[in-house]
Amino acid sequence: MRNASDTATTSASGSPTVVRVIRGVQVLAVVAAAIGVLVFPQTGPGPFIMSVGVVILSYACMATGWNFVGGFTGYISLGHAAFTGLGGYLVGLLILRADVPSWIALVLAAVIVAVLSIPIGFASLRVRGASFVIMSLALVLIMLLIFQSWSDVTGGSNGLRVPRPFGPEVLRPEQHERFYYLHVLLLVIMLVAWWAIDRSRFGAGLKAIREDEDKAQSLGIPTFGYKLSVYVISAFFTALAGGLYALWFGFLDPIFQFSILTGSYMVLMSLLGGIRSLFGPALGAAIVGYAIEFFKAQYGDTQFHLVALGLLLGLVVLFMPEGILPSLGRLLDRLRPSATSIREESAEELANKRAVLVGDNGGAS
Amino acid sequence: MDLLVQSLILGLLLGGLYALLAAGLTLYFGVMRVVMIAHSAFLILAAYLAWWFSSSTGLDPLLSLVFTVPAFFVLGVLVQRVLIARLKPATLTMMSVLLTFAIALTIEGLLGFVFSGTQRRIQLPYSGASLEVFGARIAVVKLIAFALAAVALAVLYVVLKATRFGQSLRATIQNSEAAALVGIDTKKVAGYGFGVGLATAAVGGTALSLDATIYPSLHWHWIGPLMAIIVVGGLGSVPGAAAAAMVLGVSQSLLQIPMGTTWAQTIFYIVLFATLVFRPHGFFGGRLAQRF
Repeated sequence: MRNASDTATTSASGSPTVVRVIRGVQVLAVVAAAIGVLVFPQTGPGPFIMSVGVVILSYACMATGWNFVGGFTGYISLGHAAFTGLGGYLVGLLILRADVPSWIALVLAAVIVAVLSIPIGFASLRVRGASFVIMSLALVLIMLLIFQSWSDVTGGSNGLRVPRPFGPEVLRPEQHERFYYLHVLLLVIMLVAWWAIDRSRFGAGLKAIREDEDKAQSLGIPTFGYKLSVYVISAFFTALAGGLYALWFGFLDPIFQFSILTGSYMVLMSLLGGIRSLFGPALGAAIVGYAIEFFKAQYGDTQFHLVALGLLLGLVVLFMPEGILPSLGRLLDRLRPSATSIREESAEELANKRAVLVGDNGGAS
Repeated sequence: MDLLVQSLILGLLLGGLYALLAAGLTLYFGVMRVVMIAHSAFLILAAYLAWWFSSSTGLDPLLSLVFTVPAFFVLGVLVQRVLIARLKPATLTMMSVLLTFAIALTIEGLLGFVFSGTQRRIQLPYSGASLEVFGARIAVVKLIAFALAAVALAVLYVVLKATRFGQSLRATIQNSEAAALVGIDTKKVAGYGFGVGLATAAVGGTALSLDATIYPSLHWHWIGPLMAIIVVGGLGSVPGAAAAAMVLGVSQSLLQIPMGTTWAQTIFYIVLFATLVFRPHGFFGGRLAQRF
């Protein structure tokens, strides 16, 4: 499980066997989690638990989609609900008003959202930090206004009923199961894309922006183009997640689609799991998503889940801004023979390593 | 014509309240480079306290200011000292947004939990009274709210310009390192800056409670416009924020005539969007804005 926060010291320290064992444990954990996710519907969990599973996977898709911007560039967007909501509504509108088949509508909606996100990204990525966050919040609020007011097209506050993609012969539990696996498929596609970017030159540039944007720019990284590209990619995937949710749930209400809460869930999940890790947002989604469903089931319509969410977010920001996975990683690091502050490498070894690295770069460019 | 005058006056009155609240937001940003999302949540909290005070004692809600202003000042100092100051400087801007967002959610949730989600409104003997101004009917409560905001802004102005504390606060905003070098305890000043900012939310909330129906999630309707105002005004500039508040408040009010209330609100976001595209550092802001 290579992630963006891997540093040279961890790979240089420790004996090869210990490193291999830890790597093995990590691979095993991922494989076990994957098998668990795939086998879960076969254990006969019943329709309600199954629908909770779909909701959690949907959160995982949204959070992972969010993490393309948040994780790589460090730009925290509180407004990605605008993209899930737009994705969902566009899917519904394309099916209802233009008679586009469901699955084509899903992809088409995401493409439209990606195109729309170009001017939005152009405006909001020109500024950093606080102004960017403000812009992202404003985006959700403006979408909420538009979709509530423009009721001729969107159905306004009455909501929009999205036709189901499967025929009437497919019953509810079967629906849940199919959408469960569709969400798994989407999540896998996103994870592969994230992983590929993480290892690429593009990803290295984005991470340089996260660490120090001015220095990255002075090193010749086209920072604005990179930021905008990854913003559009993120909008595309987030819209796909929103669209798939709309097809599953079948009903859209602007208050819930363009809710600031949805956007903040994505941020909380990603931060909790670890925004620099491939699996961080998905893990965070599993924990937070389960907690949300639990609170809703236990406390019903009271506002208590807001307090719980607020406190949890505050605690994560104050005490664990790096997230669970990096913390776990550090715990594992303790098992390794401790990294010494003085390098146990001779100058000759270093020179050899450098020669190999230079050779690699020469071959790549 | 009457409608136009009426909208213009209402817009100015609303702009006054926006200006006071935006001034508070600008203070937080100035002293700590923090965007305080929870500002409007505290605003609604103060409004709820005023409603609760007036409905349980039968006294005028304005009297609740005697308690809420000092309490909010202390609360502001605590928020800065206990929470914001803990964040690492490198990621302060982003993480403080999330932290204050978390505070806003917690306040909203607690308000819903304690007072339930029911809409509340204060009934006053003079609630229905109104004055004729140039043929327009203006509710007395709106005038009181504006007067409250104007007095608070004036006090804030005098404190910032004429007192020693105000000087050190402005010095900290302009350049905190240099301020520390000349002997200003910038940490203390930052805490007090937060306290003053939150005190403006207490005043604003009481003013709001006079003629608005309040409910826990109302603060989202305030934070968007306020954020737009401080960006358009140029982050960190109090006069800029006040000017932008007035202009946008009046525009919103005037646009309500042809567009209706909901669409008129989009003016804030359209202007915000345009500002970021054409003039990212705002219209009155200094060098501060673009970096943050």
